[in-house]
Amino acid sequence: MRSARDLLSLRVFGLRVSVLFGLYRQRLKYHAVRELLAGGGIAVGVALVFGVLLANGSVLGSAREIVHAVDGSASLELAARSPHGFSQRLADQAERLPGVQDAALLLRENAVIEGPRGSRSVQLVGVTAGLIGLRGSATKDLGSGALLLGRGVGLPSGVAESIGAQTDGTVTLLVGGAAHTTRVRVVLNAGAIGSLSTSGLVVARLPVAQALAGQPGRVTEVLIRATPGRERLVAGELRRLAAGKVDVLPADAELSLLNETAKPTNQSSALFAAISLMVGFLLALNAMLLIVPERRREIAEMRSQGYDSKQVLVVFAFQAVALGIVASLVGVVVGDILARTLFESTPIYLSVAFPISGQQGVHLATVLIAVGAGVAAALVASLVPILIDLASKGPVDAVLNRGEDAGQEISAGVMRRLAIAGAVVVLCVTIAVRIAPVLTVAGGVALALASLCFIPLVFRTVTRVLRQYARKRHGGMLAVAVIELDAGATRAVALAGIAALAVYGSTAVDGARRDLTHGLDRTFAEYIGTADIWVTTSGNNLTVNSFPADRSITEVARAPGVGSVRVDQGEYLDVGARRMWVIARPRDGRTILPAGQLLEGSMARATGLLRQGGWAAVSSAFAAEHHLRVGDTFALPTPAGPARFGVAAITTNIGWPPGTITLNTGDYSRYWQTGDPAALEINLKPGVSAAEGKREVESALQGRPGLRVQTMSERISQFQHNASQGLHSLAEIASLLLLTASLALAAALSTVIYQRRAQFVSLKEDGFDRWQLCRGLLIESVVLIGIGCLDGAILGLYGHALANRYLRLDTGFPAPFSLGALQLVLTLLIVAGVSLAVIALPGYSAAGVPTTRPSFRE
Amino acid sequence: MNLQLREVSKRYVSAGETVHAVDRVSLDVAPGEFVALYGPSGSGKTTLLSLAAAILHPDEGTVRFGGREVSGLSPSESARYRREQTGVVFQSFHLMGGASALDNAVLKLLALGMTFGDAETAARPWLERVGLGEQINRTPGEMSMGERQRVAIARALANNPRLLLADEPTGNLDSKRSREILGLLAEICHDREIPVLLATHDPQAAAFVDQVYTMRDGRLSEGLDIELQPLVRR
Repeated sequence: MRSARDLLSLRVFGLRVSVLFGLYRQRLKYHAVRELLAGGGIAVGVALVFGVLLANGSVLGSAREIVHAVDGSASLELAARSPHGFSQRLADQAERLPGVQDAALLLRENAVIEGPRGSRSVQLVGVTAGLIGLRGSATKDLGSGALLLGRGVGLPSGVAESIGAQTDGTVTLLVGGAAHTTRVRVVLNAGAIGSLSTSGLVVARLPVAQALAGQPGRVTEVLIRATPGRERLVAGELRRLAAGKVDVLPADAELSLLNETAKPTNQSSALFAAISLMVGFLLALNAMLLIVPERRREIAEMRSQGYDSKQVLVVFAFQAVALGIVASLVGVVVGDILARTLFESTPIYLSVAFPISGQQGVHLATVLIAVGAGVAAALVASLVPILIDLASKGPVDAVLNRGEDAGQEISAGVMRRLAIAGAVVVLCVTIAVRIAPVLTVAGGVALALASLCFIPLVFRTVTRVLRQYARKRHGGMLAVAVIELDAGATRAVALAGIAALAVYGSTAVDGARRDLTHGLDRTFAEYIGTADIWVTTSGNNLTVNSFPADRSITEVARAPGVGSVRVDQGEYLDVGARRMWVIARPRDGRTILPAGQLLEGSMARATGLLRQGGWAAVSSAFAAEHHLRVGDTFALPTPAGPARFGVAAITTNIGWPPGTITLNTGDYSRYWQTGDPAALEINLKPGVSAAEGKREVESALQGRPGLRVQTMSERISQFQHNASQGLHSLAEIASLLLLTASLALAAALSTVIYQRRAQFVSLKEDGFDRWQLCRGLLIESVVLIGIGCLDGAILGLYGHALANRYLRLDTGFPAPFSLGALQLVLTLLIVAGVSLAVIALPGYSAAGVPTTRPSFRE
Repeated sequence: MNLQLREVSKRYVSAGETVHAVDRVSLDVAPGEFVALYGPSGSGKTTLLSLAAAILHPDEGTVRFGGREVSGLSPSESARYRREQTGVVFQSFHLMGGASALDNAVLKLLALGMTFGDAETAARPWLERVGLGEQINRTPGEMSMGERQRVAIARALANNPRLLLADEPTGNLDSKRSREILGLLAEICHDREIPVLLATHDPQAAAFVDQVYTMRDGRLSEGLDIELQPLVRR
């Protein structure tokens, strides 16, 4: 192996590696501040990219970890179509099929766990010893641990900590509408179950879980490892055994279901990641642009000393890579902190339907992407001007004889070409998303690029208009500001680009998020507004967990203030790659379909058909996927086997991303073979207040601690809270992007201002005073930020409209478009306010530079 | 209005050592008088011009212009003095790299509160006078050193100064162009009756000026130093 000394004495184009280090050390010694500024720009960009990538990948990444940690070598699964599962006998038969090497039986049931310090939603998972045979990373060493569980439960350390539970302590599990006090046999930390320790999976032996869930002899899942080479045979046998009533799926099918469910937020995050990448690149570019003149002089000096082009290139490439790597690593650390502090919450709407944890795994690929982006930005920004100089015939003369602002002009031709390119991009995006709305995210990235393409032309137009205006205006510093802006056009355009991207991202994505939030709020108000009081199981967010229909319904109905009680049913049903929300509402209900959610069909006719039975309303994305129109029929894989329904209407997805199927409770009971309610809708007698009614219902349900009673407004608030919590990280990323970009813009502007002190000395020697310079700087900054904001806002509004269309058409979300003028104004004020506030001090300080600079002392 | 320096001194401390850049200098430049300062590099010529322009303030002595003391002005007052009374041609031009010649020439006029249009109208003839009438839209980056120097001269003259201070205004010009510029400065000096103080190494300058001084080690002496005489023939 080569020693460090050997490596340092290696030669690259005749230069020793040690010399490259030495030259960079010299640079750091004399230009530490400039390198720090350049590195800071890169680090901020990389932090944004890394933070967003990490937040974006955390939900899917954690689910993938959990699924693989549990499934191990299982390749197939038998999955129930209902929380009631299927008979354990069927599971036992599957276990004995030829070609099945290992099988693990599971029962999964949503529950709420209460401990000394609080409660949280969890998933109770009953397991058999067969799970250990699958050798998943989280379960392979559970042999003795599983036995230890006995009649109690094992809690992941994350759950135990959050509710204050300890080994041998007791907890209450609210499951299926009943409350069970049980002992904690073991708290499982990361050492025992790896990433599962931060999940919400509460583990018990299968018989214990069956007893707790009130489902003796039932399982919801069988994980199967087939003998190598016999997978197809086993899958065929399983299908025969399932007889169309149970699904046979790949063992990790849940991941694709989760992927579909989280798609809208993931795609929005992806758009933010791409915009962050561009902002980061621009920040790095700006930072490097600041040192370009000085670097060009260095090149000229090196070449005059006999360095050839390759050697110069190697020296500068080495320095760019070194700076890029160090700054990117700092950015990765900052981005990691951002992701863990700002984006850490796991969306409730996902956690109740999928096994996900709050853990954010950092993958090497994510680090490499972020560091690679930082190094690439440093290299491109650093080397492009150098390559231009090296390519010129007389580089030394070209550099030394041009002023410090060489390369700042943008020709009219370049401006025109860029603007045309921007217009073409906008046109292409418009056509592409019209044909295929799924291209909206890619279109959003393209629009962000287009916003950059327009800036030079907008810049030139604005400065021309201002120049004309200044021709007739006395005494203002506007004309000086316009001259200064024109003199540093490239730098000004790059700075305005940062503002444009920040405003674009915030306007487009946050606008769509606000539309979605408003749409969901309205939807929930409509959906929940059909009853004064709601009774559900604890932790039941989407009316999907049923509880035994016993005499409690009669008791509630007997309460003096209660006018009527209706039974709602429902659950998740996996159809293809979609985990659909099945909503079953009573035939005699005031409304079956929320009026505002109808997209196709007549409300009166649809309601009539749904009451009649054999008809269902389906959400638009599901309808489009199966090419369904109103009046068509389709088959649904129900627990009783495939069932045919007519399409009574096409609706929005009522807030559940994969979509909804609405039918009447009669059909549901028939095909799901249960009469258990998932919710009770209670209407009160006239004159009875919601609070009184709630008290009466709670009193009637005194013996059912696992049930939760909510007034209509409480339940609406809970839904709205869950919706906004699910979109929380998007809001955070939008705010962070806006704030970071504003601060970075301010930092870049401050640096530019600070570097222009020599220019200010010249102006002062020509008779300008400090306040004149301050006014000029203020005008320059306002114009520059204004150009970026204007450009970003226009493209952002268009991006917002496209994103809104995508939400409505492709995912079927209820998201009525609203311009959000107030929010737009606020966004612009934040960018302008933060930037101007930050540059005030360096601006004032730089304008006060004394005229006694050394160059005048001969 | 005349320029009057009385017992003016300016010292710098460099590497722990005190350097007398200007040492008890007294000088009068009358209206319509064209004065040249000769002297080797580092002799204090530029510092003397900076003191006259109130860019620097003397450690001792007074600088007066038109009877008004300018050596003790506040930063804003000295800025006002420069923009309203003086025209300064800087040795290093002080041009804005990315701005056109015309934009550079109008900058000072804008500080005076003129409109952009009026400033352009005022500056354009001066650019023509220095031979840059066809190149007003070119940036200094696209110009030779001599052309840049002429932009700096046009800018110094554009505000019709009452005092003209020029630091090596012909340092980058060929002899023909030097003569033209020196002739222009002399013409302005005499026609407008303004004092003009020129720091130079240019042997040709002596032929255009009314009075020659030599600076050496911060001290001013009338006439040409004996060592410089072979270089300059009046």
